[in-house]
Amino acid sequence: MGFIMILVLSPLFSGIVNKQKNFFTGRIGAPVLQPYYELFKLFKKETLHAKTASFISRITPLVHFTAILSAAAVLPVGFSAPLISFEGDIILFAYLLSLSRFFQILAAMDIGSSFEGMGASREASFAVFVEPIFFFTLGSIAFITGLTSISSIYDSIVLNNISYLVFIFVCSISFFILAVTECSRMPVDDPNTHLELTMIHEVMILDNSGFDLFLYHYSSSIKLFIFVILETSFFGSLGGGNRVLEIGIFILIVFFLSTALAFVETVTARFKMKNIPQYLLFATAIGVLNLLIFTFTQ
Amino acid sequence: MFNLFSILFCLSLLYLSVTSRLNAYISVLRIQGILLTLLLLFHSIGHFSVLTLILPLTLFTIKVILVPRYIKKIIFDLEIKRTIESSMRQFSFLLLVLFSMAVIFFVSNSLSKSVKIDIIPFASGFSSVVIGLFVIMLRKKLIVHVIGFLVMENGIFLFGSALSFKIPLMIELGALLDVFVVVFLMGIALNKISSTFSGFDITELRRLKD
Repeated sequence: MGFIMILVLSPLFSGIVNKQKNFFTGRIGAPVLQPYYELFKLFKKETLHAKTASFISRITPLVHFTAILSAAAVLPVGFSAPLISFEGDIILFAYLLSLSRFFQILAAMDIGSSFEGMGASREASFAVFVEPIFFFTLGSIAFITGLTSISSIYDSIVLNNISYLVFIFVCSISFFILAVTECSRMPVDDPNTHLELTMIHEVMILDNSGFDLFLYHYSSSIKLFIFVILETSFFGSLGGGNRVLEIGIFILIVFFLSTALAFVETVTARFKMKNIPQYLLFATAIGVLNLLIFTFTQ
Repeated sequence: MFNLFSILFCLSLLYLSVTSRLNAYISVLRIQGILLTLLLLFHSIGHFSVLTLILPLTLFTIKVILVPRYIKKIIFDLEIKRTIESSMRQFSFLLLVLFSMAVIFFVSNSLSKSVKIDIIPFASGFSSVVIGLFVIMLRKKLIVHVIGFLVMENGIFLFGSALSFKIPLMIELGALLDVFVVVFLMGIALNKISSTFSGFDITELRRLKD
């Protein structure tokens, strides 16, 4: 149930964010369902491959898509259990995301365009800073509770404890930075410029078309939704077992997150490349602070 | 609740060590002032009286309204540029801050076994003092040194509230007055320096030595 919801609703979330962004800048903007139309358009188109490309760039879109789908299958969606769940799946989740990134970088280098190589190098250097963020936020909860499965970690969170509330508040900040970086959104990367020199993520898929591009776009919207769900699952226990209430809380938080994302994207400009590592280290620092605080209050 | 404010205080310190804007420094000062005021108010919730309101109100007026406004005025009057200049890269500065915070938390944990203290407020106050020192040591602009001094002072305040015994009201008020006077004097000194030298860089001041 949760998995199907991720598959169906993820483009809708991107649509909502875009619509809200347009609202903040005073434009009418594309309809909320626009991402679906675009995905459908790409789905119908023919796939072209560059002459220099080897089999790596042929299999990469599929590998990328499958890795992200499998990562989505591990997640609990607030009110429903995950498709797959076992001890240690938190590591699997992190490395499935890395696998997808690894193949994308490989494919960008494979095509042979110098621009894409540049994008790949940037993506790789920022990925180094992204992984500690994940392990210091969700990993620190795993460390504290002693659980290693994402769904049991979320089940163990009790919201009536004040220190958990602080913890979630602090975690949310680093998750937000993580989501912004992983999904290459505004303060880190600007997907709208279409200038190869300023892009990180978008430049790597410049040479893809048709079905391959469909897979890339679809998986990037799923990826964004995955991070939204990571955040909303903190509040899964608020419903107290009442299914309707749980779904209501879920929708409310998703809407709140989309507003936050749209607002941040409207008011901030893209950082200079050399400032991004310290932005990411800031998120890691928050995670370390969290861990310190929890080790000494228990 | 006490821990919550201390953690937010720590977050503001981390933000201080990552940002490179003067305005952000001033807003950090404001945020810290608000946090300290709230902390004092929560302290007095059990035994509420007019006397317990004096200190939070004075603190709020001085740390949230007067001092930041005065610093802003100095920046505006002397046309100081909006970025802070550092003799160390921001990235390494943040690493340094993070490392010292970790050390401080471990030290205060082992200290809490012998002395009766709340670990989180104590450690956040302690780190605030150390980070204020780092700001004074590693930033080039004079006005940023004033802010570093104020961060140190905030840390001492938090530090004091983490101790189990109570500091008399008069002493706290006196300390606040001292801080205000010091910032005022520093402002005047900066004005004097600006009429002699064009820049506000400590590297310029090297020429003063005999």
